[in-house]
Amino acid sequence: MLLAAPAWAHHSFAAEFDSAKPVKLRGKVTKVEWINPHSWIHIDVPDADGKVTSWMVEGGSPNALIRRGLTKSSIPEGTEVVVDGYAAKDGSYRANGRDITLADGKKLFVGSQGSEEQSGKEQHDGK
Amino acid sequence: MTASKTAARQIEAPMKTSWITIAAISTFLAALPLAGQSPRTPEGKPDLQGVWTNATVTPLERPAELGNQQFFTKEQAAQYAKRMIENGNSDRRDGGAEADVARAYNNFWRESGTKVVPTLRTSLIVDPPDGRIPALTPEAQRRAAVRAEARRLHPADGPEDRSLQERCILWPAAGPPMMPVGYNSNYQIVQGRGYVTVISEMIHDARTIPTDGSPHLPSNVRQWLGDPRGHWEGDTLVVDSTNFTDKTNFRGSGENLHLVERFTRTGPESLTYEFTVDDPASFVKPWTVQIPMTRAAGPVLEYACNEGNYAMQGILAGARAEENAKR
Repeated sequence: MLLAAPAWAHHSFAAEFDSAKPVKLRGKVTKVEWINPHSWIHIDVPDADGKVTSWMVEGGSPNALIRRGLTKSSIPEGTEVVVDGYAAKDGSYRANGRDITLADGKKLFVGSQGSEEQSGKEQHDGK
Repeated sequence: MTASKTAARQIEAPMKTSWITIAAISTFLAALPLAGQSPRTPEGKPDLQGVWTNATVTPLERPAELGNQQFFTKEQAAQYAKRMIENGNSDRRDGGAEADVARAYNNFWRESGTKVVPTLRTSLIVDPPDGRIPALTPEAQRRAAVRAEARRLHPADGPEDRSLQERCILWPAAGPPMMPVGYNSNYQIVQGRGYVTVISEMIHDARTIPTDGSPHLPSNVRQWLGDPRGHWEGDTLVVDSTNFTDKTNFRGSGENLHLVERFTRTGPESLTYEFTVDDPASFVKPWTVQIPMTRAAGPVLEYACNEGNYAMQGILAGARAEENAKR
């Protein structure tokens, strides 16, 4: 069965980020913007020589996470994260947080994956 | 009203038994009116209030391979939901770099539906019976072609070229009609004397529907959300909307769309939302959609879309970078 791709995000990530520019960033969180339409996580990324570049990483709407009891303090300043994403088309230091994990490889917001089952929605289906 | 439309308006309620049971209990408690009648507000109107979600994996249109099959078997429903969840899991990395970018970000940000609708219908469209959107009229096809050409020639000259949702103006969740989206598919209904307000989390709209019998606005006043007027038919709130703009379109509709929405409580934790797209200038016949909604834990949170819409700058800057690269 061929299934149509769902509409993923509020806006076109293909228009903003370059599929030919994959990046892997490792750095410490300096600021979390827990805002709509999408959250932005700021990280400082040192290169091999120790020179630090500040990147902005785009995530999703914070609302669903807030409903699950998670806030921006769930990723405190100084947390080391690894971002596997794609860089902005315009060459600025922005990337999408295609996969954001903690430095040890663990997923962020563990236990929060899934959907409305977490927030009690549809619990009455079929009753 | 055609016979098929009448049929489509029969609310399907597999929860009927439990609803009657609950109504009987409620009557026993003397907190609610007679059995068979849905809860009422102090003004005696059907009580639609609360936080509701329309999240579902059921598609608007029936997948072609299902032909005339109007309902899933339970096994098919489970299998379809499983496939949709797998398909919709944005943590997957298959499909190449472009698909990877389109999947945007991790799945933990999302709040998609995980089940088909309780009626087990194979499409949200209940009329026409083929579960498909009727053909566009030649006029609507011309409009669609003009829009496609404008997008091709001017994909991102300025913000006006981008979609209404990217511009934080409208989102299909709010519609109207209100359609499920991948996250924040939450609504709060609030009733007062002579009006009903529907708050859509996406994209921050509060649509106030007068139910006081007042007439539509003059036809020269056009609104993003149209001009809704409500009235009560038994247990159902019927909302009649006109006065849309030529900047919105729902699957090809035009500014003279006449949208009729129907909200009916079907149980203590359920509500059926139904709408008919009546737009003879755009579709060869009217069509009707039925979306069961369930009570959600909430709360409906603020969605201040312009606050963090850095993406608009990113999209336009990306388009300029691509132009420069071609020079």
